[in-house]
Amino acid sequence: MDVPTTVSTALEDRPVSGAVCLEAGAGVGNTTAGLLAAGASRVYAVTNDAAHAKAVSERVARAEPDRTAVLEADLRSLPLADDSVEIITAHGLFNVLPPESLDAVVGEFRRVASPGCHLVVDDYEPLPSDAAIRELFALENATSELARGRPALTFYPADVVRRLFVGDGWTFDREWTLLDPVPWTENHVRAHANVARSFASKLPDELGDQLAADADRLETAIGSESVGEMYSIAFQYPE
Amino acid sequence: MKTRPLGETGHDSSIMTFGTIALNWLEQEGADQMVELVLDRGVNHFDVAPMYGDTELKLGPKLRQHRDEIFLGCKTQERTYEGAKRKLEQSLNRLGVDHIDLYQVHGLEYEEELDTITGEGGALEAFREAKDDGLISHIGLTSHSEPQLILDAIDRIDDLETLMFPMNPVVAGKDDADHDYEAVLERAAEEGIGTLGIKAFAKGPWPSTDELPEADRPYANWYEPVDTPREIEERFDFAAAQGLTSVVSMGDPKLMAMVLDAATRYDGMDESAQRSLVEKLRHDESPVPEQLHH
Repeated sequence: MDVPTTVSTALEDRPVSGAVCLEAGAGVGNTTAGLLAAGASRVYAVTNDAAHAKAVSERVARAEPDRTAVLEADLRSLPLADDSVEIITAHGLFNVLPPESLDAVVGEFRRVASPGCHLVVDDYEPLPSDAAIRELFALENATSELARGRPALTFYPADVVRRLFVGDGWTFDREWTLLDPVPWTENHVRAHANVARSFASKLPDELGDQLAADADRLETAIGSESVGEMYSIAFQYPE
Repeated sequence: MKTRPLGETGHDSSIMTFGTIALNWLEQEGADQMVELVLDRGVNHFDVAPMYGDTELKLGPKLRQHRDEIFLGCKTQERTYEGAKRKLEQSLNRLGVDHIDLYQVHGLEYEEELDTITGEGGALEAFREAKDDGLISHIGLTSHSEPQLILDAIDRIDDLETLMFPMNPVVAGKDDADHDYEAVLERAAEEGIGTLGIKAFAKGPWPSTDELPEADRPYANWYEPVDTPREIEERFDFAAAQGLTSVVSMGDPKLMAMVLDAATRYDGMDESAQRSLVEKLRHDESPVPEQLHH
């Protein structure tokens, strides 16, 4: 499969070849594919989403069974030993981590990191106030809060992520801009609208129907939009 | 318009090359105006071929008037000595000039063709003879085919000075060997070979002729083109930023002014913006549904 340029760029200056890697928040396996393509000796693809675990298994792990382990697990308690990982990637992970989970996840990264471990965090800056897609993300968050008591998306500024990990003992290495602007395509807009509709369906009928109708309206009104910035920050844990 | 050295030919080509097939769709008066327009905007590299209908004949008058301002590339699909020699004479006659700056092997598709061209009685013998006789100055090659074949051609043709091949954000986003034109760009740079990019503005193939008969297509391009100023500019910028010497314009004359405008205003493209375009197109055609992230 094709490794997205965001992933290959974020990994290009990291010593992936021969390394034991953790893809935290594996999504559909794009970064696992990037790590394997860059010569990782082993990749643990961890996700708490059963559908994502299946997608990674089918798209990536099946072709590389000896080098890939797909783990369906909670990032707040990783099923990995202390000091066992040489590269950790969090590509598009933090925006789906609610603030109350940050501390536990950061703690687990530090626990599994071996001395000299590299960490790459790729995510989105908060969107500018005039971005049309903000309204869709607001609806996604509102439905998520109402349905399960936590937001769906939180965009942490690069500076905040940097301070978070430096404060936990990591050494800042570099920050790059991966995408500027970020292309929110029709597929992305539809996928986010689907998330909002899915949460809306769990709400009382009258409220849920109204919010689902809002998702329909926003999907059509926004279409696609190129806006915002995606960053890549690299850290290293002291030897 | 900016210029860049065309490999080691000694010529500095404008970053846009005029694909003269656009003239085929115009009457003579319109064709003359089109040539004046592109020259006025600073284009100094033209590309023509005998297979483009009446293009050679329509280019002739203005080419002769401005011969010193134009670096002229022409090409042949003939693979043998006799065929190539005949086609070159025919092109010189139809264009009405006594010299072509760059003569190219056109549309290389198969390894066997490379055997024929480079072998005894092959087209390159005619090319080299024409070079000795002063009819042409430089030898090039064009191909839409897989990058490995183009790399083989570089290995097998020592006096190759230019290459023309596809380059756009869809191609750049694919990792497999069949789309690795970046390897061709790198190798060309190492060897001092000039590079000309085609298909920079391709949106995709035309719908099937059942769905859209050829006569109902809105543009005279091989492929369905992007056709808004913003898209044309980002496509031009992307292709020019990959390190090509020059980006070849589209076949349809209706879009020429937008391409010229983009080429005139070209001022580099940030890598994050290049990746943004690759990502946008990857997601547009992605087989994986439901992606929330990039």
